[in-house]
Amino acid sequence: MSLVVTAPVPGTALAMADVPDPVFAQSIVGPGLAVEPPAGTVQALAPVDGTVLKLHPHAFVVLAGGGRGVLVHLGIDTVQMAGEGFELLVAEGDAVVAGQPVLRFDADAVRASGRSAVVPVVALDVPVGALTDLRAPGPVAAGEPLFTLP
Amino acid sequence: MSQAQKILDALGGSGNVVEIEPCITRLRCEVSDASAVDEAGLKAAGAMGVLRSGTVVQVVVGPNADTIAEDIEDLR
Repeated sequence: MSLVVTAPVPGTALAMADVPDPVFAQSIVGPGLAVEPPAGTVQALAPVDGTVLKLHPHAFVVLAGGGRGVLVHLGIDTVQMAGEGFELLVAEGDAVVAGQPVLRFDADAVRASGRSAVVPVVALDVPVGALTDLRAPGPVAAGEPLFTLP
Repeated sequence: MSQAQKILDALGGSGNVVEIEPCITRLRCEVSDASAVDEAGLKAAGAMGVLRSGTVVQVVVGPNADTIAEDIEDLR
């Protein structure tokens, strides 16, 4: 059954190739889309129904049915911020539904540190080209569809 | 041989590794001697990609990066 992956944050959708990080831009961990969030404090929502497989302050993975993992990464190189400006709202292992807040983060603090606040949304362990209904670049509201997983 | 051991060996062994920091899908490794890093060996150990910048080697291993990093630390 195909799985619709929704936007974890509002903002501007952009192609993964435009993310300023080679691992994401080259889809090494998987294909997807990215969203540039607005200024201020931004809530990151679960992009699919599933279980929180991994939860870091700056990134999380939700495992949906069929072993399909979706990675949401808040900003680039934000592991180096050691959680500063990030607040977790669920715990690793929790069941979440699409649209449920997982964490909130301060996009201004990320940008003020000289990093990109862009949010890559990655379908893990999926061949490039397997995604369908990829959203065109442009404005997106949180919870709107980004792409469909097979 | 475990995946952690294979990765450690391909990074030039414990003595060559200064620091390993797991990000959610990758190991950010600082090494003393970048020329001792065996990129083919890292890929053979399951790395999906290897990115090098001076003495920093990023080994993309997927969402188990933190577990693999702990296993490598146990070997050092």
